[in-house]
Amino acid sequence: MYKKSQAALEFLTTYAWAFIAIIVTVGALSYFGFLDFRQYLPQKCIFPSQFKCLDFALAPSEVRIKLINNLGEDIRVTSLQITNDANPPISCTPIASFDWAYSSVKDLVFTSCAGGAYIPGERVELKISMNYYAPKTPSRPLHLINGKINGKVQSS
Amino acid sequence: MGKYNQAKGQASFEYLLIIALTFAIIVPTTYLFYNYSKESSQEITDAQVAKLGNEIVDTAESIFYSGQNSKTVLDINVPEKVESVVIIDGRELVIKVSSSFGVSEIVFFSSVNLTTIGANCEGVVCRIVGLERPGLEKVKIEAINQYSVDIEII
Repeated sequence: MYKKSQAALEFLTTYAWAFIAIIVTVGALSYFGFLDFRQYLPQKCIFPSQFKCLDFALAPSEVRIKLINNLGEDIRVTSLQITNDANPPISCTPIASFDWAYSSVKDLVFTSCAGGAYIPGERVELKISMNYYAPKTPSRPLHLINGKINGKVQSS
Repeated sequence: MGKYNQAKGQASFEYLLIIALTFAIIVPTTYLFYNYSKESSQEITDAQVAKLGNEIVDTAESIFYSGQNSKTVLDINVPEKVESVVIIDGRELVIKVSSSFGVSEIVFFSSVNLTTIGANCEGVVCRIVGLERPGLEKVKIEAINQYSVDIEII
């Protein structure tokens, strides 16, 4: 009886060490962010092809995006906002309304960005929404465009 | 008995290790490919919508300049996630498309006056009924008079 229980105890102690080693290793990997698989995804800026995203940069307190107007029409942008799913979401100084000629490129800069887990070195997903209208259309209906940036905030 | 138990224990431990290793490879790979394909599918939908809109507007302009009563029928493949298609002021073809980051309105501008069935119009907004259904649709484009081109699903 004693021999059996001793064998069982030795078995448990031997493998308990192995399990502890594995748990500690996994915990360390998780702590240092190796198990956050989002970081292995490519950094991307997605907009509809009518406002193709040519480039973007996530500086410590500002977000820069370069878009081209492929609409085939001059437009007036009435609002451009940035947000994300964090609670509270990211807050940046909104960009004032501006005219945008067909086929031209605009460098849009959101400044004073804070909150929304927008931290240097961290991976973030930002949603950008833009309202515009075409001045040549008589009723000037507002149109909404949504885009997304998935990237790493540059370290300062 | 003890050796037999140890051999069994080692076998089950090795089995667990292999399963854990398999999961450690499969789970992150699935996650990465799932996310990558999700973004790719959005780009594909966007390309399909751009093709659809350009095809309708280009054909409408071509039919208009061919003269009154000219018409053609287009076989158009409507992608999923198209919520509605409307004509505004006779010059904007607006396709509303949903994506994981919100609804966007893809706008195509026409140099000729576009219209559709009068019953589907409210003010300056005319809805092209049926063009929001995913799949193959037949779209009739006809120069109904010297001023307008009519777009309908048949």
